[in-house]
Amino acid sequence: MRILVVGGGTAGTIVANNLARRLSAETRRGKARITMLSASDRHMYQPGLLYVAFGQMTPDQLYRDQASLLESNIDFHVDPVTEFMLDQNKVRTQSGKVHEYDTLVIATGSRMVPEEIPGMNEGAEFFYTEASAVKLYKKLREFQGGKVAVAVGVPHKCPIAPVEVMFSLHDYFKARGIRDKVHLKYHYPINRIHTIENVAKWAKPEFDRIGVEYETLFNIKEVDGKNKLLKSEEGTEYQYDLLIVIPQHRGMEVVEQNKLGPGGWIPTDRYSLKMNGHDNVYVVGDTTNLPVSKTGSAAHFQAEVIAENIASIVKVGEPVRDYDGKVYCFIEAGHDRATYAMFNYQNPPDLKPPSKPMHWFKLSYNQMYWTSVRGLL
Amino acid sequence: MTSPNETTAPVGDADFQRLAEFAQLVTSAQDALSDDMVNRIASTFSEGITMLDRLTRNEGLTHLLRELDRVENQQFLIALSNAFTQASRELASSPPAAGGITGLLRLMSDPGVQEGMRLMAIVGAHMSNSLREVHRRGL
Amino acid sequence: MSDTKVIDARNTFCPGPLMELITHMRLAQVGDVVELLSTDSGSATDIPEWAKKVGHEMMGIEQQGDTWHLKVRKAK
Repeated sequence: MRILVVGGGTAGTIVANNLARRLSAETRRGKARITMLSASDRHMYQPGLLYVAFGQMTPDQLYRDQASLLESNIDFHVDPVTEFMLDQNKVRTQSGKVHEYDTLVIATGSRMVPEEIPGMNEGAEFFYTEASAVKLYKKLREFQGGKVAVAVGVPHKCPIAPVEVMFSLHDYFKARGIRDKVHLKYHYPINRIHTIENVAKWAKPEFDRIGVEYETLFNIKEVDGKNKLLKSEEGTEYQYDLLIVIPQHRGMEVVEQNKLGPGGWIPTDRYSLKMNGHDNVYVVGDTTNLPVSKTGSAAHFQAEVIAENIASIVKVGEPVRDYDGKVYCFIEAGHDRATYAMFNYQNPPDLKPPSKPMHWFKLSYNQMYWTSVRGLL
Repeated sequence: MTSPNETTAPVGDADFQRLAEFAQLVTSAQDALSDDMVNRIASTFSEGITMLDRLTRNEGLTHLLRELDRVENQQFLIALSNAFTQASRELASSPPAAGGITGLLRLMSDPGVQEGMRLMAIVGAHMSNSLREVHRRGL
Repeated sequence: MSDTKVIDARNTFCPGPLMELITHMRLAQVGDVVELLSTDSGSATDIPEWAKKVGHEMMGIEQQGDTWHLKVRKAK
C-alpha cells in the first residue's frame, strides 16, 4: 500500500512516524511505502512563538530539521503539493512530479489571514509567525507605557492563546516595572471572556485581579492604523497605543485552490477522520472542518487514531478505532503557574487551580514535543 | 472478636511527621528548581528517550548485547583486556622490529606469534562464515 | 439565490457552537442562512444575542430532543 502524507507539521509528522513504526516489517518487505511531502525542510514548534514574542525563547529554538525527526523508512521530499487529483488517486507537486497513492493523508494545517480585515496588516502586531513574533518582541521592548489592546479573529488556531497573552503581558510589564503605566484591554467576539465556559469563569476574576479591562461581543471590523483605532462590527471602537491581534485563519492556499473545502477547511467525518466522500483520504489537524479546536494536541490525538487505522487496514483490512474528540491543552496562567483543559466529544473541560508543577509540566513539554512528534511519547 | 483498635495498624504521629517532612521536601524542591533547570532536565530526558529508542531498535546492537551475556564472551572480553595490558607492557620493553625476511621468519617461528595468528584466523573464519550466512538469510 | 448550510456543532466544547457559527457566517454570502446544531443549552440565548449585536437576522430557534436548531441569516 502506498501511503502519502501531505504536510510536515505536528499532525503529518506523527501520522508518518507512527505508521513507520507500526509498518516497519511491511515497509522492509515492500508491502507498504510511506512518502511525505512538505513545503519546508524545517519543523516549527508553534507554541514557542508566544515565548519568542516575550523574549523567553530565541527563534532558532523553534525549529528542528524535519528529516532528523522522521523514521528512516519514510521517503521524505521538500516539494509541496500544488494539485490534488483525488478521483485519480494522485497529486502533483511544485517540481512537476506526480505521486500516486493508495491512501492519502492531508495534514496541511492553517494560516492567519489578517489581510481580510481592512487595515489590520498595517495597524496591528501579531505573533503567529516567526517574523511577526520577533517584530512584536522588539515593539514590546520599546513600549514605555500606554494602552495595549488585544483582539481576536474567528476562527484561529490555539483558542487559549488570547487568555495566555494577557497573563504574559501583565507579567512582562510588571517585570519591567512599568505595569502601572500600561493599560491592558482584551476584546473577545462572543458574550464571555472565552469560548470555553469553565475557562471564562476562571479567567474573569483573574483579569479583575491583575487589572485587565475586557469587552465581550467585540467582532473586529477594521483597524484604522493612522489614528490607532480598533473598530467592531457592533459599532464600538477603541483607541490604542499598541494593538496585538490573533487574526482569523483559513486553510492553506493549495486546499482552497483545489476546491477541497470552503475557507480551506476540508469536510471531514468527526469519528473516522476520513474526507467526506473519499474512503481513502484522511484529513488531520487544523485543515479539517471539524468543530474541534485547532491545536497541536487535537492534531496529535487525531494522528494517532489515523495511523492506527491505516496500519490495521494494511495488516487486517479494517480500521480499529474512532477519534473521540480528545484535546489536552496547557494554559499558562502567569506568574509561573499553569493549568490545563482536557475534553472530548462527551466531556467538557474542568479546570484545576493553576500550580507551579503544571507550569513545569508545560515547560517540560516544550522539550518533549520533539520526542512526541517522533512517535515516542 | 477483635476490638476496633486492633484490626489495622493505626496511623500514628510518626507517620504524620514523615508526611510533613515529605511535603517540606517537595516544597523545597519547588523552590530550588528554576525554569532553566526544568528545561534542561526535560531536554535531557527527551533526548535520552530518543537515543534509547534508537539503540533498542538496532538489531545488531541488541544481538551483540545478548551474545555478550554468554560465558564464552565474558571470557573472551576478559582475556582481550588482559592481552591489551600485557601487550602494552611488552611492547614498551621490546626493541623495534629489524625488518626483512630474516626478521619475519624469526617472528613466525615464535610459538606465541603462532598462537596469536591461529586465534585471529579462527575468529576470522567464523566471522566470515557468519557474515555470509547473515547475507544469505537476511536480518 | 441564497443557500442554507447546516453546521453540526453538537457535543463540542472548544471552540464551541457560537465560534463555529461565526466561522461559517464569515464564509457565507449575504442572504445565506446558516443552521447551527448545538447540544449546549446556552446556545439558545448566546446565538440570538450575538446575531442582534452584530446585525444578522435570527430566522428560527427550535429544540428537538437535546439538540437546538438555530437558523441565522447573513444580513450584511
